[in-house]
Amino acid sequence: MTMAPGDPQPELALLARMRRGEEGAFVAIYRRHRDAVYRLALLYAGSAGTAADVTQDTFVHLITRAAQYDPARGTLGAWLCGVARNLARRGERETPVDPASLADDAALPEDRVDRDTPLECLLRDEAAEEVRRALAALAPHYRDVLILCELSELSYAEAAQLCGIDIGTVRSRLSRARSRLAQHLERYAAPQGARESAHE
Amino acid sequence: MNDHPSDAPLDPARSTLLDLRLDALRRAAAAESAPAGLEAALAARFRTHARSRRWHRALAPLAVAAAVALVAWILRAPDEPHAATSPPASGKTDDGPFLALRPLDVVALEPGVTVVSAQFPRALLAEWGLPVAPDRAAEPVHAEMLYSAAGEPLAVRLVR
Repeated sequence: MTMAPGDPQPELALLARMRRGEEGAFVAIYRRHRDAVYRLALLYAGSAGTAADVTQDTFVHLITRAAQYDPARGTLGAWLCGVARNLARRGERETPVDPASLADDAALPEDRVDRDTPLECLLRDEAAEEVRRALAALAPHYRDVLILCELSELSYAEAAQLCGIDIGTVRSRLSRARSRLAQHLERYAAPQGARESAHE
Repeated sequence: MNDHPSDAPLDPARSTLLDLRLDALRRAAAAESAPAGLEAALAARFRTHARSRRWHRALAPLAVAAAVALVAWILRAPDEPHAATSPPASGKTDDGPFLALRPLDVVALEPGVTVVSAQFPRALLAEWGLPVAPDRAAEPVHAEMLYSAAGEPLAVRLVR
């Protein structure tokens, strides 16, 4: 899924008006991007509260540091997603993690897999919840490309820019990430299948 | 199932199955929206920020003017004590022209001349061909002397 390039001029005009202090222009930009930013934050953070905080901080960043956005380097939407990603990942880093657990094939410890937050849970649907758990168990760099390229509306080029890697690395990393995710999902499915066979 | 993770690309069947599962997550995520209360909080934040920027913009010309005034004052400041403590040797600048003691063309071509304040007996003026009243010959005269670089007197101007 990629973001349609579209004509950036109307959005740049909005941004210019926003920088001149027009609240209406800011609100228009916010309404255009709020859900994409919130969903991305939700996929990274896994909790609605954290995702709301990340969304708020992302748009505060836009208010206070709009000059950092360079239209030559991508769309405003991609820039906002990049800010949200960095803020969400900063939140992840605040929880100390054993470096060994970040190995590519390491499943996260059970207590780090977000199973117990039904009220804040991103997904109500059981199938989606399974995928979310498997995603959370992946190493961060694999989770990164899956969220950015498969689950958000960013192009490979935009994902490459956000991650600071080249587009070829995005492709190869995405291929490996898909393999790992499939394996995690099969691991989750296997004990369930075994339990069902035992019942029979 | 193989316990070791494999980086081999997924075969088409597994890839399709994974796409279906990712699609489930995609659909679930698409159903989520940013909390409604965020917009009002951010709009308030925007207003505060815009107000403070307006103040900065309004004050910027004043700040520039203040900076220019400060720089001008700093540049002028060293001149003022100099003017107060080093008046022209005469103490006034309208004491009249110098009287040449040497031919004018010699004075005009002389490099590195110096003006020196001097005080001497009025009788000395007679040596330069100037009239001196005998009863005031002993009085001191204040003058400015123009000397050549070699110390030769070139011109003189009496000061009050």
